[in-house]
Amino acid sequence: MVQPRAVPSKEYQIKAVFLYNFTQFVEWPANSFNEAESPLIIGVFGKNPFGTYLSETVHGEKISGHPLVVKYYSKVEDAEGCHILFVNQPKTTDLKKVLSQLKSRSVLTVSDASTFIQDGGMIQFLTKSNKIRLLINSEMAKASGLTISSKLLRLSE
Amino acid sequence: MILKNTPIRQKLMAVILLISGAVLLLTCAAFIAYEYFTFRKHMISQLSTLGEIIADNSTAALAFDSQDDANQILAALDAEPHVVAAGLYDEEGNLFAHYPDRLALNSLPSASAKKEFFFENGYLHGFLPVMQSNKQLGSLYLRSNMDAVYARFMLYGQIAVLVVAVCILLAYFLSRILQKGISDPILSLAETAQAVSSKQDYSLRAPKFGEDEIGFLADDFNQMLERIQSQNQEIVSFNQKLEQKVEERTMQLAEANKELESFSYSVSHDLRAPLRAVNGYAKILEEDFGTVLDDEGRRLLTVVQDNAKRMGLLIDDLLSFSRLGRKDIMKSYVDMNGLVKSVKDDIEKTTPHRAKVIIHPLNPLVADRSLINQVMVNLLSNAIKYSAGVESPVVEVKSYKEDGEVVYEVKDNGAGFNNLYVDKLFGVFQRLHSNEEFEGTGVGLALVKRIITKHGGRVWANGEINKGATFYFSLPDNKST
Amino acid sequence: MEKGNEIEILLVEDNLNDAELTIRALRKHNMANNILHLKDGAAALDFLFGIGEFKHRDTISNKPKVILLDLKMPKVNGLEVLEKIKSEELTNTIPVVILTSSKEHPDVEKCYALGANSYIVKPVEFDSFLKAVSDLGFYWLLLNHSPI
Repeated sequence: MVQPRAVPSKEYQIKAVFLYNFTQFVEWPANSFNEAESPLIIGVFGKNPFGTYLSETVHGEKISGHPLVVKYYSKVEDAEGCHILFVNQPKTTDLKKVLSQLKSRSVLTVSDASTFIQDGGMIQFLTKSNKIRLLINSEMAKASGLTISSKLLRLSE
Repeated sequence: MILKNTPIRQKLMAVILLISGAVLLLTCAAFIAYEYFTFRKHMISQLSTLGEIIADNSTAALAFDSQDDANQILAALDAEPHVVAAGLYDEEGNLFAHYPDRLALNSLPSASAKKEFFFENGYLHGFLPVMQSNKQLGSLYLRSNMDAVYARFMLYGQIAVLVVAVCILLAYFLSRILQKGISDPILSLAETAQAVSSKQDYSLRAPKFGEDEIGFLADDFNQMLERIQSQNQEIVSFNQKLEQKVEERTMQLAEANKELESFSYSVSHDLRAPLRAVNGYAKILEEDFGTVLDDEGRRLLTVVQDNAKRMGLLIDDLLSFSRLGRKDIMKSYVDMNGLVKSVKDDIEKTTPHRAKVIIHPLNPLVADRSLINQVMVNLLSNAIKYSAGVESPVVEVKSYKEDGEVVYEVKDNGAGFNNLYVDKLFGVFQRLHSNEEFEGTGVGLALVKRIITKHGGRVWANGEINKGATFYFSLPDNKST
Repeated sequence: MEKGNEIEILLVEDNLNDAELTIRALRKHNMANNILHLKDGAAALDFLFGIGEFKHRDTISNKPKVILLDLKMPKVNGLEVLEKIKSEELTNTIPVVILTSSKEHPDVEKCYALGANSYIVKPVEFDSFLKAVSDLGFYWLLLNHSPI
């Protein structure tokens, strides 16, 4: 559903760009894609904080031949087939449910929930002295078959 | 060529060293020139490589806005001491991170989106885009000083000097050995030539070292020596033959002389005896039978005696004339003043005369003393004899040097002679006066001429009837020869 | 010529003319009394040594005061005679005057070398010859003290 253009806050603009940038620093296993040109799906679960910004940012971009597509989910069950999933301030129970569901698949889980990593997430946004920092659980990612570039790993707090 | 007078060995070595040195220097120069022209490229390529690595590593920092990480990455530039400044710009051209920490930020230029390198103010500046998956996240700026280059060239210079020095040294020792191949044959040939010329030994031969030009030169040289040697031998044998001939001739001459010797001995002895008898018996006749004869008879007897006397004189003169021809001249220093004076005294003792004899200072001579004595006796007695008829007879003896000759003259103021017949004066038995006017055999002057000619000199005379005569003889001035 | 007791002068000369002139010269000065003329060297030697025809001569006490000797003579020539005279004790004290035509220097030397006492060349001119001979006679007979 095409939403009318809504400009999110600066914070979420940056996070949107980060999400997009993650695609350049993460490798999905080959079986994540049906075909060479299957889209790389960035999912947003929960309330969409990015407005249209995220979609605009990734519009027309390709990563290794995979066109980037943004999908918005409100139900966990729907969050199928995405490669990155941004979980927006979920309730803990929901979060756990989502994560366990995604465990068997290679999905990069990202969130700015304060206990995301502890709860089993892979990348957590952290705001520190007005800057957005990253917290990365590389084991989690590796367990899911994802390879996070060392360049990105370095940035982890 | 300043090398003109240096020995061959040194010449060859100098040539080799000069060429080696020149080649080396040219090579080094070419190399250094090449380096000089390509160092820029090289530097750029190095900086570029470095830049690429840094840029690649800083993509995440730029993408995720992590200044700390960016600074950390740039700090890695510590490893490269020649990079003096670096800056990371975001895609908007704002400075995101810098290196080193204390860098004056205004020294960093504004961002450039494209990849470019340029040399300015003694530094190499470079911009590289920071790309991630074909998206430019920002740019990287690097500034490198040229110290590396200078150090490099310094190093090159030192290496060049070292290499050249070593090579020259090597070339020196090698050339010392190798030049022998050329110089030894030449020097050996030169040595042989020197030995031949200083010892005059033409039996020496030059050794031949090889079939090159020097070898052929040696061959030719030896051939020449061969020829000289054989020619010398020819000359020697020819000389020997000549000497043999000379000996034969000398022996023949000696024999002829001996024969002449015994001939004149016989003549002197055997001719005189009958002469003595004629004279003697005529005298006896005169003494014992003079009174019986009349004046005419006595006159006839006188004629007989006079003629016998004259014949005796003729024989004596002829004999001394011929003896002279066989005699060798024995030269010695003759004090003419003393000699002429003693001749004068002798004449006065045997034949008193009225003539006033003036002897001027005379040059000394180197000649056969007894022969010159004979000459002076003849000339002086002639002068006295022919001036006897004059009232105040004067005879002068002078000498002087002229045209490389020493001239002596004997001058009298007597009867003189007709200059027309001067050529006949010195002939044997030639007289310009009759026996009645002045007695004489006509051999005296011929004797003088013979003696003087034998000494390599000349005789001549001039006179005028009744005014006197002057007789000259000259000898070459030995001092001038 | 007296073959006699005292021969003062022995003249050895092959040329009869020369001999005659010599004797005449000597006679002129009264020196010819005891003169013996022999014509060749052999005879002279015979005389001096008492050989041949002179066998009976007293050669010891009757030696001539002077010998006038010519050089060029047949048979035994003057030099040989001279040599003989001067080499024998019997005769070597007798003065020998070489009286000859030859002026040749080698002859002069040879004679003196052999012991001649004097060497006179016979002049061609008679006057000179006379004078020479008389001078000789005067010297050797009267002036000179003979060893004999």
